[in-house]
Amino acid sequence: MVVDARFTLLKPVRSQMSLVLMQSYWIADLPERLYQGVASQFGSRTELAADNEKLKTENLLLQGRLQKLAALTEQNVRLRELLNSSALVNEKVEVAELIGMDPNPFTHRIIINKGERDGVVLGQPVLDARGLMGQVVELMPYTSRVLLLTDATHSIPVQVNRNGLRAIASGTGNPERLELRHVADTADIKEGDLLVSSGLGQRFPAGYPVATVKEVIHDSGQPFAIVRAVPTAALNRSRYLLLVFSDGRSPEERAADAAQQQESLDRQAADPSAVPSATVPGATPAATPNKPVVPATVPKPAATGHSTSSAPAAAPVATPAAMPAKPAASKPAAKPQARPAATKPATPAAAPAAPRAREE
Amino acid sequence: MARHAPARNGWVVWLTFAIGLLLSVSPLPQFMEIFRPLWLALLLAFWALALPHKIGMVTAWMLGLAEDVLYGTLLGQNALILTLITFLVLSLQQRLRMFPMWQQCLVILVIFGLAQLVQLWLSALTGNRQPTLALVLPALVSALLWPWVSYGLRGLRLRLKVN
Repeated sequence: MVVDARFTLLKPVRSQMSLVLMQSYWIADLPERLYQGVASQFGSRTELAADNEKLKTENLLLQGRLQKLAALTEQNVRLRELLNSSALVNEKVEVAELIGMDPNPFTHRIIINKGERDGVVLGQPVLDARGLMGQVVELMPYTSRVLLLTDATHSIPVQVNRNGLRAIASGTGNPERLELRHVADTADIKEGDLLVSSGLGQRFPAGYPVATVKEVIHDSGQPFAIVRAVPTAALNRSRYLLLVFSDGRSPEERAADAAQQQESLDRQAADPSAVPSATVPGATPAATPNKPVVPATVPKPAATGHSTSSAPAAAPVATPAAMPAKPAASKPAAKPQARPAATKPATPAAAPAAPRAREE
Repeated sequence: MARHAPARNGWVVWLTFAIGLLLSVSPLPQFMEIFRPLWLALLLAFWALALPHKIGMVTAWMLGLAEDVLYGTLLGQNALILTLITFLVLSLQQRLRMFPMWQQCLVILVIFGLAQLVQLWLSALTGNRQPTLALVLPALVSALLWPWVSYGLRGLRLRLKVN
């Protein structure tokens, strides 16, 4: 036991054993799946029609929202460019299916049907349609174990969506409740606030909904306010989950890659005819569907070549080819980037590292 | 029991263990999770009583390792507990076989309760402390299930002449 707890020596043994033994979860799940199969075979026509209708309206609503989202994303990209900071626009997502619950009633862990061979990594965030669910804590070849947010040993850094107030949401062992620890009595937090992941702690991506505040109790006998929240994700009901593959690169690498990408784009645009118009930053969100695997990052203004001395990692890549790219790239974004603002990109990376939150 | 017949129908034992493993991970409603009987321990106790020359602590250790992989606990935690149960059952074996059923139930309750306490201790050592009294519930449920498991398996054993 000590060997297993302290060293990684037994990991291969365990993963080989799990290859055989994990089938029992699958077998134990069979009746449920059989029932669902039969139920879906005999679903009545009216039911299906109603379902279809509902899904159609939902789809319409979502499409409507999506249209707005495209505009907002683009606007966000522009604003971030003005600030000279890079941000992830979207992450690659993969669907996994729940195949078992942990039999121990005092831990909240589930087992999903994607494992190491599917590219799942340790600590990977897991979502459902409504919010964050948890993270991967154990890898097996074709399955993995996910620790849910509400497990008593789990905590996640969050912030209030309304005003950005940061806090840490800890699980309580109750599937319908999270608690915010150490929130000052005077903090601006109230019932109904949406808590989103803050991205501090560098485990979960920022901006996904985590919970809504259910009650805030100010007890004068207590040093801190008692804040209880309900997870937005259907932690004990969702059957289909999303695995998020976030970008493993550091901000500097990301910036360098983005610069390279931008250069090639610029060169393409510059070569056929000297029309220096199309490839300016607005084109980036449109470029995402082409290559969903590499999360499209917002190109840090391509011509970092202006301030080579101050950009540590991006400089070597950006300088040589920056000269031909200049006429194209320096169209609308030229004014802000001309300033030696490239010193800034270090800050978004440094900030999350400092208050590394307790998170496991 | 006196003469040594060649081993027969040994697969039945292993089949019951496989079913026990399945039962120990089968999905249950939320409120019933804390009552989940210790299936593997029950089966091990029965077979250790019935075939002490065949089912011993090594079997228990192997099954425990399998259960550890299934539960995601540290390798050896459940193995240790199942071995402990088998050891206690084997050392009480001569007497246990003579006892009437209700007395067997009581002894099983005590043994499983002890094992659950060790379980609690181990999981507290490894960092996830569990509520104390609820841990004794599975032992109680298992003890209540003992007569059925015992009679059922005995019938199976006599029918198939498992040896």
